[in-house]
Amino acid sequence: MRRRADLAALGAALAAALVLALAGCSSPAASPRRKVAVVAKSTSTEFWKAVFTGAEAAATEYNLELTITGPETEEDYETQNAMVAQAVADGAQALVFSAIDYEANAEAINAAARAGVYIVGIDSAVNSSLVRTYIGTNNYAAGCMAAQAALDGCEGTLRVGLVNYDRNSANGQAREQGARDTFAQSGRAEIVAGINTLSSAEESCADTAAMLAMHPEIDVLLAFNEPISVGAARAVKQAGKEGDIYCVAFDSNVETVDGLQTGEVDALIVQNTYAMGYLGVESAYKLLTGHGDTLEQTVDTTTRIINRENMFTMDGQKALFPFE
Amino acid sequence: MKRKPMRMTQILVGLVAAIVAVTLAVWVTLYLHQYRAAAIQNAGTSSAQAVSQVAGTVGNYMEELGETIDLVVDQVQGKEEDQAEFFSAFLRIRPAVIAVTRYDEQGNLVDCRALNHTPRKEILQNLSFDLEKARNASGRVVTAPHVETIFQGYYPWVVTIIDRVTTPEGSGWVALDLSFSGIADTINNVGIGRRGYCFLLDDSGSIVYHPQQQLLYAGLKSEDTARLGTLADGIHNDGTVIYCLQTVPNSNWRVVGVSFVDELVNTSFRQMIRTAVGIAAVVLAAALVAGWVLSGLLTRPLRRLEGAMEQFEQDAAHFTYQPVDGPREVRELSDSFGHMVIRIQQLMGKVREEEINLRKTELKALQAQINPHFLYNTLDSIAWMCERGRNADAVQMVHALARLFRISISKGHELIPVAREIEHATSYLQIQKYRYKNQFTYHFDVDPACNEYLCNKITLQPIIENAITHGLDLLVEEGHIEVKVRQDGGDIVFEVSDNGVGMEPEQVEAMMRREPSDRTGIGIKNVNDRLRIYFGEQYGLTIHSVPDEGTTVIIRMPKIKEGEYEETR
Repeated sequence: MRRRADLAALGAALAAALVLALAGCSSPAASPRRKVAVVAKSTSTEFWKAVFTGAEAAATEYNLELTITGPETEEDYETQNAMVAQAVADGAQALVFSAIDYEANAEAINAAARAGVYIVGIDSAVNSSLVRTYIGTNNYAAGCMAAQAALDGCEGTLRVGLVNYDRNSANGQAREQGARDTFAQSGRAEIVAGINTLSSAEESCADTAAMLAMHPEIDVLLAFNEPISVGAARAVKQAGKEGDIYCVAFDSNVETVDGLQTGEVDALIVQNTYAMGYLGVESAYKLLTGHGDTLEQTVDTTTRIINRENMFTMDGQKALFPFE
Repeated sequence: MKRKPMRMTQILVGLVAAIVAVTLAVWVTLYLHQYRAAAIQNAGTSSAQAVSQVAGTVGNYMEELGETIDLVVDQVQGKEEDQAEFFSAFLRIRPAVIAVTRYDEQGNLVDCRALNHTPRKEILQNLSFDLEKARNASGRVVTAPHVETIFQGYYPWVVTIIDRVTTPEGSGWVALDLSFSGIADTINNVGIGRRGYCFLLDDSGSIVYHPQQQLLYAGLKSEDTARLGTLADGIHNDGTVIYCLQTVPNSNWRVVGVSFVDELVNTSFRQMIRTAVGIAAVVLAAALVAGWVLSGLLTRPLRRLEGAMEQFEQDAAHFTYQPVDGPREVRELSDSFGHMVIRIQQLMGKVREEEINLRKTELKALQAQINPHFLYNTLDSIAWMCERGRNADAVQMVHALARLFRISISKGHELIPVAREIEHATSYLQIQKYRYKNQFTYHFDVDPACNEYLCNKITLQPIIENAITHGLDLLVEEGHIEVKVRQDGGDIVFEVSDNGVGMEPEQVEAMMRREPSDRTGIGIKNVNDRLRIYFGEQYGLTIHSVPDEGTTVIIRMPKIKEGEYEETR
């Protein structure tokens, strides 16, 4: 009996030692890198390049395997849906996503989320309750800011022309709504015309020029994203109305920055694109490592107004001209 | 409650485990301490290497800036007609030079040399030249990185160096814009560990360039520049972050390397802890097994010895010792114990023999005694018979008495045939019946086959005497004594029953223990003792008695024939 008790004690001690040894040998560091996919609206604009820079910085910092994809044009939600499905098929564990179409992208995102992929929304929202966190500009506030810049820059009654992109894109609509509400509240602005054009400089230029030709009384022009803004600036220049039209554009592009110095553009609403990319990937990392509960439902990245006066201050330079 | 002392295995295994565990703990602690110190030092060294590399690159950049401006100043102060040709070649050879601009005394842009770019007609703000600063500066001015703002659609980050020039047209300044993107790339690509990085700080403690500029700018990250500005060159470890500072030669910039203890040290340190603990656990397990095996080797023979001793304790007489094998000490102990067992068994045998002899001698002495009362009473009875002329009765009495004594003596033999013993009992009963005036009757029922066996002499007489004196003497009506002798397998059983007053169990108990008084002769206890000494524990005498009904005494002894029992005399 005693001997058996001794044996049992020895066995227990050995088992404990073995467990310790196993714990010592097993190593969590050996686990493969986590895969995060960024699906953007586009890969060609400076706006998105800055987002990717931020995303890559975060991926490096958190040791993630990052893939970045986006369609050719900012209207091609079908390709985006295919890219989402492809990312899931390729084993992405988290998806950082900016929706071209608030409604049409929803099903693809829901399907990805149901497949166990964490969804982080950036820049433009999608109609899915499975998005764990949204990081981007407070688009309504940015629209308000744009309108307020115009109101501050001009006296008297404003005759406003709005140039927006795809009607189905959530962020563009929110911006426009913010601008409309602010103008309405001011009581001294009249929205003469509002158009929706394709998100490219050429289309925007042509459509804006047509609008300006149809409504020559327009003295304030608001353009709601980078390619649209470039097109609008071109149209103002073509019309020779640099001095007559107060143009508020979105995002930083070489052409709009040039325009800011020569008068086609009077104010730029610059979003913190780098932060969107960085925080998007960082949030994906937090979700993957089980810290998802620390995330906010929405994270508002900062937005700045850059005008002729502050564009060459140190902050202005940093906002407008990212290091490449 | 007294604690049981520990077993040898427990002591040995515990001791081995404790020693090994303490040794391992000390070793692991020291080793890990050393390892951590070395890892921190390594981290610092690799950080310093990276920083020194960056400082070298930035130093080269500054040197290039100086050399280039020397060249440019020489050229600008030379002949007017050579300039265009020189600059077109110069700018092609040195693509990092973004622009060379010249300013007059009032700070107006005189000319601009740049590859493929011409300055705007109206320059909103020229960040490459600041008249105020240029005028106040004693020598050359080197600006912080800024955006080149004089071109359309071209906004590279540059560092500008400004120097005074004197040309035939008058004195002024020349400014050279050198691309910063090379440095930015270098700094961006320098990694210290996975998350560590370098950045540039100027002597006033503000950041010149930071690879995560955008995060700083967005307020998502911050550097403690106030504190960093006060630190001297070298490695500074604050427990979580290792800062490594180095001043860039020929400039007022410093390179700061930031690396993370957690990443560089703690991750590998944790891995090392796991490995060390794993090894320690394996060693500990091995030590436990070794201790157990060792103690088994030592204690197993001891336990066998212990078991043997326990057995011996329980039944010393029938114990046979099997020697225990083991280490020499144990074997010696085992041999000693073996000798001791044999010696003790010899002594025990001797003691028992002596005891038996002593008892036999005692009993013989008792048997030899004639109860004086009995003799006196019997002779008195005989005398009384003679007086009354009952000569025949007197003769019978004398015969019976003579027979009694003759059988008692039996030529000194202890064992006599059963028939003789019956004769002896009969003689005794005859005498007693006369003496008790026919107060009782008696009857013998003897299996004739029993007559040839031997039995101890004077076995029945003490029982009968007891039946008469304690059972029938007090009885009012007539008593009866029945004596039966029968065979029972290998035994002979004598039964003496009376219908007397009987006894309580306590009385029976007392009777079995009581030594005989002078009155009662041999006594019941002695009969029992004698049978046991002669034939063993399983033989002897049992009493069944019921108060007011009578007593039955059963005597059991083995069948022994003439010459089968060796008397030990």
